Amino acid sequence: MSASTRRGFITGCSASVAAFAGTHFNTLAFGGTSDPNEDILVSIFLRGGLDGLNLVMPTSGADRGFYEAARPDLGVPVTGPNAALPLNAQLGFHPATNTWPNGTGTPPATLYDLYQDNKLSLVVAAGMNLDNRSHFDSMSFMELGTPGTLSTSTGWLTRHLQTASNLPPEILLPALAVGNLQQASLRGSTDAVNMTSPDSFSLNIGPFEWRAAQRVAMRNLYSADSWLHESGALTLDAIDLIELNTGDGYTPANGAIYPGGSFGNHLQTVARMIKTDIGLRVATVDFGGWDTHNGQGNEGGGYYSTHIQELARGLAALYTDLDGSGALNYTSRLTVVVQSEFGRRLGENADNGTDHGHGNVMMVMGGNAIGGVHGTWPGLAPDQLFDNADLEVTTDYRRVLSEVLIRRMGNNQIGAIFPGYEGYTPLGVVDGVDLTPDDGSAIFTDGFESGDLSRWT
Amino acid sequence: MATPIDSRRADLSRRRLLQLSGLGAAASLTAGGAQAEALPVPTGRGAAMRRHRGSPPRKGLPTLPAAGIIALNRMGFGPRPGDIAAFAALGANDPDRMAVYVAQQLDPGTISDSELDSRLAAAGYESIGISQDPDTYRATLWDWYINDNAPSGNTSSSLPRDELTRSTFVRAIYGNKQLVEVMTDFWLNHFNVDINHSSFVRTMYAHMDLVIRLEIMGNFRTMLEAVANSTAMLYYLDNYTSSNAGPNENFSRELFELHTLGSENYLGVLQQNQVPLDGEGRPIGYVDADVFEATRCFTGWSFSYGVSGDGDTGLFYYRQDWHDRFQKNVLGVFIPQDQAALKDGRDVLDALASHPGTGRYIARKLCRRLISDNPPQNVIDAAAAVFTAQWQAPDQLKQVYETILMSEEFRTTWGEKIKRPFEISVSAMRAAGADFTLRMDDSDTSSFLSRYDDTGQELFNWPAPNGYPDVRGAWQSMTPRVSTWRLCNWLIDFDDADDNYYLDVLGQTPVTVRSPNELADFWIQRILYRPMDPADRNEIVQFMAQGINPDFDLNFDDGDTLDRLRAMVGLLLMSPDFLWR
Repeated sequence: MSASTRRGFITGCSASVAAFAGTHFNTLAFGGTSDPNEDILVSIFLRGGLDGLNLVMPTSGADRGFYEAARPDLGVPVTGPNAALPLNAQLGFHPATNTWPNGTGTPPATLYDLYQDNKLSLVVAAGMNLDNRSHFDSMSFMELGTPGTLSTSTGWLTRHLQTASNLPPEILLPALAVGNLQQASLRGSTDAVNMTSPDSFSLNIGPFEWRAAQRVAMRNLYSADSWLHESGALTLDAIDLIELNTGDGYTPANGAIYPGGSFGNHLQTVARMIKTDIGLRVATVDFGGWDTHNGQGNEGGGYYSTHIQELARGLAALYTDLDGSGALNYTSRLTVVVQSEFGRRLGENADNGTDHGHGNVMMVMGGNAIGGVHGTWPGLAPDQLFDNADLEVTTDYRRVLSEVLIRRMGNNQIGAIFPGYEGYTPLGVVDGVDLTPDDGSAIFTDGFESGDLSRWT
Repeated sequence: MATPIDSRRADLSRRRLLQLSGLGAAASLTAGGAQAEALPVPTGRGAAMRRHRGSPPRKGLPTLPAAGIIALNRMGFGPRPGDIAAFAALGANDPDRMAVYVAQQLDPGTISDSELDSRLAAAGYESIGISQDPDTYRATLWDWYINDNAPSGNTSSSLPRDELTRSTFVRAIYGNKQLVEVMTDFWLNHFNVDINHSSFVRTMYAHMDLVIRLEIMGNFRTMLEAVANSTAMLYYLDNYTSSNAGPNENFSRELFELHTLGSENYLGVLQQNQVPLDGEGRPIGYVDADVFEATRCFTGWSFSYGVSGDGDTGLFYYRQDWHDRFQKNVLGVFIPQDQAALKDGRDVLDALASHPGTGRYIARKLCRRLISDNPPQNVIDAAAAVFTAQWQAPDQLKQVYETILMSEEFRTTWGEKIKRPFEISVSAMRAAGADFTLRMDDSDTSSFLSRYDDTGQELFNWPAPNGYPDVRGAWQSMTPRVSTWRLCNWLIDFDDADDNYYLDVLGQTPVTVRSPNELADFWIQRILYRPMDPADRNEIVQFMAQGINPDFDLNFDDGDTLDRLRAMVGLLLMSPDFLWR
């Protein structure tokens, strides 16, 4: 299927919504092939700059010495109650990745359990090879998929959806942007539904007996060709879609317990919409609060530890919730990628915090993760640091995402999705079939590179 | 005017709704589930949308309205009843009227605000308006809500936040100094602090609001320093503990990137001596080393919070012994060792405020707020030139605003932007003549705010230091669209404990206005202040008529009919026409 008909995705295509209302259906109903079409990519962005050096830290050798010297207070210890959890002979994991809320019954897996079960791949020293320590530029570069360029009119996930050749011609909910605003990685996508929870994504408000008539009128008022009318009409479609396909309330499966707060709630929205079986392929979720210039917490504890705990519990709950058997074995189709705009400086500052850095850890979780630690550890000796201060970047973040796109999502249009990115080879974070990456020269001249500033400054 | 009735309006079941909404194939929708076969599936989004109406699609983009609508919607939060007529009386033609209106709004001291004043007084906010002297105000806030000496006995740090939120709504809804409110919102987002960062910020944010308001028509450099030494900013961006022994660069980085030069003038990790110079010998932009050097300049800029004998007042406090005394170099400015207290930091602020890159960056942001997402370059250039040339003038900002607002482009641009949730909510209450003062300890206020906070623009609550987005791309997202529709449709039902509507739709409808045609035209004018596209007007009329002759009067003794009238106003508030700016 060519890229142009890809725009024929019908997010909440009204006819299809009605046709399938009240039933749960599988994408096979549309005649698509089952593999790898049904894979689901959940992209989680940790906003503010995750301190990756306290999530995955050296536990032995010379780098342990550099780490302890640079972080005499903040460093995660290798002994005691907050001791790092072993990942391999050189590196450890923050201890808060192995906690679970007290409760009865058998505790489901923690994130560290998932690592040990090879459902979690860790990529060290990943990021952008760019000289920029701005949060906002760095986030935009990453999410647009064009490091160095802010004017790109579409996000990398938008271009994935536009170029994937293995998606059925109609799909009700190809993409879900969870949160108050649609993420830049889905910029320019008319395929995405942006919401926080299906429970509040409804027009079940106002004088009861006139709601239906209002909706009809709304349809007609929003029926015109401007960008505003079109986005309103898409929103009305999405409301129909969500109202018709989600019931009241949600109970996580398999004993999963999501952490309180918006991150856990938003992950729960993702799981709920996946289980609705209306074709979800891509979801985006944010988790903020990582800009820890101050009061990060000493010796593996404090604010950062609590925040890592929320992250780890959320990820583990999502995995557990989706890890049923048979038709409910969603984890076999699930790949979660966790990234942040940059890492933080090796040296702690005087406020028990860390300032903006460079290389960082990325996490890839899913039923097809290969597990283990990946990438090249660049070392922490002074002459091994970026700008004499930060962990170096040895793996381009686009390499990890490209591997997930090719091996899990079956999309080799890397040139269109990450224009300018060259030399891809798989790192080995997920299982799947390798495809020769298309450099995108044909598509790239088709307008993807144009920065349509009129819509998306 | 007689309007043909469309008989399809009758019998609106859920199924009918789906059919009319373009779901023509929904006939197979049954209680037992759906049939998937034999569905004519549109080939694309556009095709699906065009099926909603028999006629060819209309263009959709709005035509240029009268200048009063532009002025009230972009220099303010939309018209209240009477505002458009008052604007029309300001002169013989739109350019003349605009000139008078702009001059009035740029001179807020001459604008009377009696309704606002009485509403603020009636609301009885404890923490708002205590003093117009910034230091008296912040010392009081600190004493009352940090040191727990509030006269009411309610010493929660949430109280100043909640009262500021409420009073900001009241000012925007009822204030006549609309440009002041718009620009205060602009600068609070420009210098964004997340009010929920901590109890210190929750308490002291209102002080930052005051120092911005005091300088709202004044001088950027003055505002910049007032914000830089505000307790909320010092705490939010960690400068309050930054010292020679442990510099913290968080504030300095955002000072360059967000408050002054902007990332458009950021050159990354280059060394200072690699940066090209402009015609006047200034570096054309900044590099990380400038951020690091500026960090040294601001070491010791702190506030009094009860350490080292600082008095625990919440006031700005310069910790001389924390200051890095040696020489520095920022943006090509040499800063010698051992300068007088605060001089290093002030030299940095001078260098930033006078740099033409700052003028360009801020002029672009102001034009983006006031004109369009991609404002005309000539207006940006003109505003930037005034900003930089007048950087030391006491009315610099007023001159910059004037340059933008008096441009022909301001008066002739419409529909490039849409309202954001705060603008939607406030303009809905203004247009619909709401009688609602947000108060503390009031369950109706809480109900309103809990719904408003779902819209994604909870006041002062953007977590990152860059502030809420100001471009339509972000606000076309579905969460704010759905949640503001919900809010508008809730507002028309919003009533007090005695069942009095806060937006009294029927009470504001003249008794002579009773037929669907008359009701539609009256409320279209009240909400939109301009005619709708004939097809859209017909939609409103038909909604109100529900199959009867639209020239026949309706009887509002019938509760259903009254509900329908409110729902019709809700429809107008949810319409695309209400969103344009």
